[in-house]
Amino acid sequence: MFTPILILTAIGLFIAFAVAIIVRYFGMPEDPLKQQITDLMPGANCGGCGFAGCGAYATAMAEGKAKPGKCPSMNSENAAKIAELLGVTVEKSEPMVAIVCCSGDDNTASRNAFYNGVNNCRDAMQIDAGTKSCSYGCLGLGSCANACPFHAIEMTPQHLAVVHPELCTGCGKCVDTCPKNIIKLVPRSAKIHVFCSSPLRGAEKRKVCKSGCIGCQKCKKAAEEGQIEMNGSLAVINYENPPAAEIASQCPTHVLRSNETTPKKSKEETNE
Amino acid sequence: MGEIISLVVGAILVNNFVLSRILGICPFLGVSKKTSTALGMGGAVIFVMTLSGFVTSVINHLILIPYNIVYLQTIIFILVIAGLVQVVEILLQRFSPKLYHALGIYLPLITTNCAVLGSAIICTKENSSIITSVIFCFASAIGFALALLIFSSLREKLDLAKVPESFKGTPIALVTAGLLAMAFMGFAGLAG
Amino acid sequence: MNKSYQFYGGVHPAQQKLARKSAIAVAPLFPFYTVPLSMHIGAPAKPIVKIGDKVLRGQMIAEAGGFVSAPVHSPTSGTIKDIKPCLGVTGVKTPCFIIESDGEDKEYERMKPFSDWQEADPKKILSRIAEAGVVGMGGAAFPTAVKLSPPPGKKIDTLILNGIECEPCLTDDHRLMLEKAKEILIGIQISARILGVKTIILGIEKNKPDAVEVMTEQAKDLPITVFPLNVRYPQGAEKQLIFALTKRKVPTGGLPMDVGCVVQNVASAFAVYNAVYKGIPLYERVTTITGTPLVSPGNWHLRIGTSFADAIRLAGGVKEDPAKIISGGPMMGFSVYSLEIPITKNSSGILLMSPSEITQFQSKSCIHCGRCNDVCPMQLMPGILSTQIENECFDLSENWNVLNCLDCGCCSYICPAGRPLVQHMRRAKAEIMAKRKEAKKDTPKGKASK
Repeated sequence: MFTPILILTAIGLFIAFAVAIIVRYFGMPEDPLKQQITDLMPGANCGGCGFAGCGAYATAMAEGKAKPGKCPSMNSENAAKIAELLGVTVEKSEPMVAIVCCSGDDNTASRNAFYNGVNNCRDAMQIDAGTKSCSYGCLGLGSCANACPFHAIEMTPQHLAVVHPELCTGCGKCVDTCPKNIIKLVPRSAKIHVFCSSPLRGAEKRKVCKSGCIGCQKCKKAAEEGQIEMNGSLAVINYENPPAAEIASQCPTHVLRSNETTPKKSKEETNE
Repeated sequence: MGEIISLVVGAILVNNFVLSRILGICPFLGVSKKTSTALGMGGAVIFVMTLSGFVTSVINHLILIPYNIVYLQTIIFILVIAGLVQVVEILLQRFSPKLYHALGIYLPLITTNCAVLGSAIICTKENSSIITSVIFCFASAIGFALALLIFSSLREKLDLAKVPESFKGTPIALVTAGLLAMAFMGFAGLAG
Repeated sequence: MNKSYQFYGGVHPAQQKLARKSAIAVAPLFPFYTVPLSMHIGAPAKPIVKIGDKVLRGQMIAEAGGFVSAPVHSPTSGTIKDIKPCLGVTGVKTPCFIIESDGEDKEYERMKPFSDWQEADPKKILSRIAEAGVVGMGGAAFPTAVKLSPPPGKKIDTLILNGIECEPCLTDDHRLMLEKAKEILIGIQISARILGVKTIILGIEKNKPDAVEVMTEQAKDLPITVFPLNVRYPQGAEKQLIFALTKRKVPTGGLPMDVGCVVQNVASAFAVYNAVYKGIPLYERVTTITGTPLVSPGNWHLRIGTSFADAIRLAGGVKEDPAKIISGGPMMGFSVYSLEIPITKNSSGILLMSPSEITQFQSKSCIHCGRCNDVCPMQLMPGILSTQIENECFDLSENWNVLNCLDCGCCSYICPAGRPLVQHMRRAKAEIMAKRKEAKKDTPKGKASK
């Protein structure tokens, strides 16, 4: 009756002592910084940070391979403490949203040729830099929509990419994907945006696209000083000091408008 | 000699731990996304399984059988294997940092791998000698690493394939694992 | 030297050589010529005339912009109207001269001909070839003078004259060999003298028996071997032709000179003859204008800078609306959308295709039949590469040697699933080259590469 208990206890004690002794005499000292960070981690091992667990993320942070702030389960207090330990400041970034700075869909913008190649903007760029007549125009093949992990970009039937701000998280994947570099991240707080990217002369633009910014400067006059600048014939909003939403009514081509006017898409539809 | 060969071939191919005995599925699915990690995991498993096979069979023959407490084997083996892996990890970190980094985080992950425990228990069930159990454990571990390697290569190709939305990720991986297991059924009857 | 070798892969597209029988005609003068500054691989040429200047036929209007570059000559006499970006074959706008012809076609003072090229200093002949703006006229437009001056370490023992013309539809090289055989052979001997090469091999595909006959007759007393080869596309590609004739394999990422070979197109040899023996710079080339929608397909001596519209009018215009206009051959040519595009030094043909000849494949999933592996002359695995590229794994495809792809299009031609394989590879090559360029740019500044 007692033999098994004794044996089990003996084995347990033996292993405990063996591990203790080996740790005492052969163990490597832990990085104190890593230990401190690990203590502040939530310990849920949820993997939301993209690492194998809290320990792995803490190690990566201690070694300078990762930045703090990726943990979704951590409260802001601990995050601040970790940032302090690492000697970095947690950027209080403004929430951003992506916009496609082009309004030229099939109804308003012309194309040089019928493109029937690989259905991907970056492939289309191999031939004639895309077939849109305007070299700053959205190609409309949906590379950004495919890249978006949140299904926040919709391709309209007229082949124009439109971002739904209510779904967009501002991750910037579409910005990297767009071969024409016409997707920009802008502060969510800004009310109105210029949906055109071409700095060419108004007359030149007019030839290839009816919905481009013609550079009439009406918006600049209506806005306060420094809110709207001109880059060639393109109005550019100064997002440090965004203009009021009412100015949009001044724009004759409606290229200056709110990004909220885009048709909303429900979540269920997105998943279909 | 013939017995050993049939033991080895049987452990690697016929009664493959993952694909035939369905043991150690967690690391099989967890670390098979890339061939490089699969190799690391396979190496760690071979190392730990051989070592634990030796230690557990020693304990089995010197303690459990003489004192007639074979029914305690599960508890004792878990205890021993966990402690063993901890000790080995610490020693490796100290004396062979290169190997430690190569095995990386996989070492502690294996402490509770059912394949390691399973191999130890199978050995005691078959009542095999210490040498045979070490060989058996080593061969089983190689079988595990082989399955992991094949599966990870398949998954790398699977990443490029067009898979229906609802099957993406783990579902198609499980389907593939099933197909792979069926393929391994073809070895049944080999060596023995 | 009596055996030819079969290179790996390749396909047999329908020949469709409509203009095979029509002799090369001389094109009339056109009112306007659009001459691009960059018609070759390497640095663009630098203009040496201003807007409003009067120029004469054969006058140099832009000088070479670097070592790997070539000058540009005026195709006729007239006025430089403008220097502005115009559309090229690939759809990218490059700076071009707009020359308004004065109708007189007066010739500029000719360069002194080397009628004694057998005795003349090879270095002088070489600089003449450079001065005349001769480039490889088969496709890549690599400056011939650079090709003929290999680095000192490389020993060249074989000069290959490329009369293969494996592209379907095109007949310009074929006609040139029939009509200018003597000139071509002098041109290639001049090149051989510059390189100091004794062995000259002329490769011709057997679908041109008349050209084989004429060339064999002309080369009878010359140290030139004429080699008829079995028909197979892309035999005209440098690496494949070298293998077919000499069984030498150009290493991955290497050049023909690494195996002691230089390949020259027959049109380039003719241009070398003109430049050296006659002193005429390269401002004219033979171009095939063909396709079923045309009234009278044929071959013409066209001035560089002739617009596609003028060229098509030459061929009698169209009898039905073409669905596609291609610069070059059907396998490797570029589909164009504007007829403003000019003929350049490497435009071997203009091909029009009728709607009935065009099929739009719906690209489906790869069925792993492996036919693309069978036909790829570079022994790549296009099917696997294309799935990698579709998933944007460009690093992976680089490891699978996608950069070796020579754009021949055999894989797309053979694919039963209608997959755009060669288009995918083109994109991967462009993305990898762009990434390399970026990495190169970043390193001097000490930035970490992305």
